[in-house]
Amino acid sequence: MYSETLLEHFRAPRNAGMMRNADAAGESQDGSCGDLARFHLRVLDGRVVEARFQTYGCGPSIAASSLATELVQGRTVEELTELTPAAVEAALGGLPDDRRHAASLVVDALRAAAAHYRAVRTGEVSRV
Amino acid sequence: MRRVYLDHNASTPVHPEVLTAMLPYFSEQYGNPSSIHGFGREARDAVEAAREEIARFLGVAKEEFVFTSGGTESDNLAIKGVAHAHGKGHIITSQVEHHAVLRTCEALERAGFTVTYLPVDGYGMVDPDQLRRAIQPDTILVTIMCANSEVGTIMPVGEIGRIAREHRIPFHTDGVQAFGKIPFNVHDLGVSLLSCSSHKIYGPKGLGGLYIRKGTRMVSIQHGGDHERRRRAGTENVPGIVGFAKAVALRARDMEAEAARVRGLRDRLWEGVRAKVAEVRLNGHPTERLPGTLNLSFRGVEAESLILALDLKGIGASAGSACTSGSLEPSYVLTAMGVPTDWALGALRCSLGRSTSAEDIEWVLEVLPAAVERIRAMSPAAVTA
Repeated sequence: MYSETLLEHFRAPRNAGMMRNADAAGESQDGSCGDLARFHLRVLDGRVVEARFQTYGCGPSIAASSLATELVQGRTVEELTELTPAAVEAALGGLPDDRRHAASLVVDALRAAAAHYRAVRTGEVSRV
Repeated sequence: MRRVYLDHNASTPVHPEVLTAMLPYFSEQYGNPSSIHGFGREARDAVEAAREEIARFLGVAKEEFVFTSGGTESDNLAIKGVAHAHGKGHIITSQVEHHAVLRTCEALERAGFTVTYLPVDGYGMVDPDQLRRAIQPDTILVTIMCANSEVGTIMPVGEIGRIAREHRIPFHTDGVQAFGKIPFNVHDLGVSLLSCSSHKIYGPKGLGGLYIRKGTRMVSIQHGGDHERRRRAGTENVPGIVGFAKAVALRARDMEAEAARVRGLRDRLWEGVRAKVAEVRLNGHPTERLPGTLNLSFRGVEAESLILALDLKGIGASAGSACTSGSLEPSYVLTAMGVPTDWALGALRCSLGRSTSAEDIEWVLEVLPAAVERIRAMSPAAVTA
C-alpha cells in the first residue's frame, strides 16, 4: 500500500519538531480530513538552510512532511513556490488515491511559509 | 520480529481442528449435496450434521437454520426477505449498525420503505423506550445488532425482543460479533432472525448463517434451485459448512473459559495504557461489552498514523471497523455516540482472541505508549499544549 520511501520517512522522520527564531513559518490544513502541517524555515541569503515540520495526520502526511524538509534544503524561497504535489508524490514513491492529500498538504504549507518570508522581508509582518 | 494480532473483530485464524475437519470435503467427499447418489448423500449428511450442531448451540430446530455466504448475506436475506414479503412498511434500526444492515436499509428506503435510525447513548446503546416510541402501525421489522463491532457494546437485546414481541413485529439481530463470544438464547431474547458468521469464531471465511424462527413471514432474495428449503439458492459450500459447525462446537466447549481469560487480558491492556498515557479514553460500555474488545481514543493522535506505527512493530490493530479504514472521516459509530471529533479521529480498536497471550499484551504496553508519545511530539499541538 505504501512505498518503502514513505515507510522509511514515517519510521524515522527527519527534522521533526519546532524551531526557535525561525525566519518564516507556514501551515496548511486539509479541509476534508483535518490533517495539519506546519513548517519552520531558516533562510540565509535567500536560500533555505534548515526546515523543520510539525504535522498532525496520517502516516503519509507525516512522511511527506519529513521528505519535504529534505527537498527544500538549499532551495531559494522562490523555488519553494514552484514545488508541486506531483513532485512530492513522486519523491515519496507514490501515494494511494485516498492519501493524495498528503502531498498537497505539505506543498500548501510550504507556500504559506514562503509567503510569510516575503511578508517579513517587506515589513508587512513580524518574524515568527 | 514479534507479531501480535489484535484484530479478531475483523477476522480470526482458522482453528487447526476446524481445518482438519474441512480437508476431506475438498478432495474426498466432494459430492453435491443435491445429488441422489452416494457421493451426494455423503455431502448431504455432512451438511445436515453441521446444521444440527449449530442448531443445538442456538437451541433451535435445525430446519430454522440456513447457511449463507457470510454475515453480510445473512443481514441482506433477513432484512430484504421480511421487507419484500410485506411489500411496503416501516423498519426500525439503529445508527450504529454494520454497513450490511445500514446500506440494506438505505436501499429499501430508495425502494419506498421508510426507516427509523434510532440514536444511541454515550456507550453506544439503544434506549428501549425510544424503540417503543418509534413503533408505528406499519412497522414490519426491528433490526438491531447484538453487539457493536467497533466498541463492543452489547445492546439490551432481551428488552428489544420483548418490545418487538409485544407488538408482534419480527426482530432481526445482527449477531456476527456476539455469536460464539457471549452466551445467548434466541428464545429468551425474543429473536425471530439472527445473523451469524464463521470467520469471526475461528471458522473459514465465506460462510455464515441465518436463524429464521418458524412462522416468520419472509421471501427468498436469491433465486435458483431448491437449496436450503428454498430460502437460499446455490450449491452448499460443504467444506465451509463443516468447518463452521466445527468452529461452533469448539466455541460451545471453550467460550466461557476463553471469555474470562480474554477479558482479563483486555482489562490489563486498558489499565496499562491508562497508567502510561495521558489524554486517553475508553469508548464503549464499561461492563456491557464483548470480552475481547477495547476501543481507545488518544487525543491529538490521528489513528492511521498510530496503526502504521504499530504495524511497523508487528502489531495489527485497527481504526474502528475494517470496512471504513480507507475513509478519512471519523467513525460513524463514535460520532453517533457523541464522541468529539478530535477524540474520534484518534480511536484505536484492539480486539483480542484465543491466540492473544499475556506476553503479547506486555509487548503492546511497551510499544503503544511510545508510539503515541512520538506521534504527539511531531504534532503542531505539541507547541500549544
